Amino acid sequence: MADIPLPPGFTAQKMAQAQRALESALGADKVFFTGPDRESYEDKFAVNDSAHHPSGAVAPESVEEVQAVVKIANQFLLPLWAWSRGKNLGYGGTAPELAGSVVVDLSRMKKIEFDEQSGVVTLEPGVGFYDLYDYLQENNLPYWLSTPGNSWGSVLGNALDRGVGYTPYGENTKNLCGLEVVLPTGEVVRTGMGAFSNAPTWGTYPFGFGPSWDQMFVQSNFGIVTKANMWLMPEPESLMGMDVEFDKPEDIKVMVDTIGPLRRERVLTQSPSIGNWLRAAAVLTRRTDWTDKPGAIGDDVIAAIRKRFNIGWWGVSLRLYGREDINKAAYKVLEKAMNDAAPMLIKPTTWRKGEPLERTGWTGTPMTFPMQNVNWYGGRGGHIGFSPILPQDGTKALEQFKRTYARYQEYGVDYQGSFAFGERHLINVNAMIFNKDDPAFMAKVDPFFRALVADAKAQGYGEYRTHLDYMDLVAGSYDWNGGALRKLNEKVKDALDPNGILAPGKSGIWPNRLRGERKA
Amino acid sequence: MSKFVSLAIASFALMGCAAALAQDKPPPPGPPPMPKPLTLVDRPNATGGEKLYVEHCAMCHGPNGMGQGLLAREGKQPDLEKRGDLRKPYIVFAARHGIGNMPAIPPGEVSDADLNAIADYLAAGPHGEAK
Repeated sequence: MADIPLPPGFTAQKMAQAQRALESALGADKVFFTGPDRESYEDKFAVNDSAHHPSGAVAPESVEEVQAVVKIANQFLLPLWAWSRGKNLGYGGTAPELAGSVVVDLSRMKKIEFDEQSGVVTLEPGVGFYDLYDYLQENNLPYWLSTPGNSWGSVLGNALDRGVGYTPYGENTKNLCGLEVVLPTGEVVRTGMGAFSNAPTWGTYPFGFGPSWDQMFVQSNFGIVTKANMWLMPEPESLMGMDVEFDKPEDIKVMVDTIGPLRRERVLTQSPSIGNWLRAAAVLTRRTDWTDKPGAIGDDVIAAIRKRFNIGWWGVSLRLYGREDINKAAYKVLEKAMNDAAPMLIKPTTWRKGEPLERTGWTGTPMTFPMQNVNWYGGRGGHIGFSPILPQDGTKALEQFKRTYARYQEYGVDYQGSFAFGERHLINVNAMIFNKDDPAFMAKVDPFFRALVADAKAQGYGEYRTHLDYMDLVAGSYDWNGGALRKLNEKVKDALDPNGILAPGKSGIWPNRLRGERKA
Repeated sequence: MSKFVSLAIASFALMGCAAALAQDKPPPPGPPPMPKPLTLVDRPNATGGEKLYVEHCAMCHGPNGMGQGLLAREGKQPDLEKRGDLRKPYIVFAARHGIGNMPAIPPGEVSDADLNAIADYLAAGPHGEAK
């Protein structure tokens, strides 16, 4: 036990006592404190391999076992870090913010219930996208998922961290409708209509009566979500759309200014994502297939990549969903708008119910192959990303791109950027792919990330989601009125979690007794 | 995860039909369908290690999976069920510790007993075509 990471205030002896209490409550087969166990819960994509090490992990299989873990944590003042399946790769994955925390691994909680009439699925956190896809297939249910690029993870966990998919249900957190939560003091609450005993409308009306709390448990450390309802999209009659390529980096302006109005008007109801040439190259090839020169890839290599894959500097896929007659009419509007924007290529696509299905994110098909991009630099690959929220404005998107691209050049990192549409905003995802076996490269990731945070902050742009390393930094950037929001978050934290046991530091929210752990 | 790979999924568009010029009309048929993911519904008679493999491993080591793609890139047989050179200790070690770009699989997700059953199944390969 000598090298076990310990949270503040703990000795190895006290941790051993806590471990025994957990084993007594759950059984030894659900408690993991050996060295190899701990290592398996470290962050696979860590930039700093020495940070965020847990002391151990537990795998409760029921809400009662979650309550038992929380009770023991309160007895020992033991920090917990709960997640659904731990596949949030690039944001910390399985690892806790505060070293020495005990991971609460919910991946064994995998119950699925489905109300076919309403299209509402009730999920436990361990249900992955592949599990739910399999359930829909097995039961011949005419509904589609909204899958992220890495569908290895939890459906519920993704929504609880505001992950996205690419269908009209792509803003996954908006599909939550009623949660079951174990509070840090051990009580169980149900939100929305779930507060009304035996209500058949828990999964259909999100608000209930009085204050509505669902989003309070999203990206927070105010409770452990053990069950939730989510709305699924009915299988559409028709799918029409196009994959569109644009030739020049400056075309990001016209792309945003063309797609934005269609999105706001709801001609487009999905969540398109504009991406650059590296989207293809990094998934399908290695960097050494193109060049052995250090520094950011040059224009000659960019031209070679584009030529081989016949792609633009930017590309975007647009899809229309629903009744065929409506899609045909909307397609004419979409086609004219995109042609007016003078693209390099348009590749139309169409599908009718009963035809072979496009197995992509646009049909909610789960997938993991896009993660092949972490092999771009070779070695033990990983990635981290900086993702500020921008206005849906072409000029501002172009300016942000130019600033960011210059930073990639300065730090010698290959640019992988995207501009993903919400209904009224853009998420500008800037991925930094790295090779953990290249110390020189790894040493520049942190200063590069911090430079991007500062650049965006100067424009008023804040991140929507971030890695464990930067939760305090990003929370600090939300600084209006002296950081009033963080003060509110921490008042709520102290009220709900007086012993400060649940996920200290999540989203920059620290309980009173551990506020000294906040990083600059 | 993640938005990091969000732009990468657009590479689907590159794996289909040839591009048409913007002014081409009417729209040609869409790209040929990508393979369906392998899940338990495709192996209704699977039991033991095979069933656990499909449940826990096929998302990466099945069709369109990250692991399958990266193993193919290295010139190896990408379908682990078709391999005859996998040994149980290697499989267990690779899963628990991670290997290459594969993250470690913790014991809460796949218990020691289940991992041993998966390893026994793969070590008994090759298993030939999907059943």
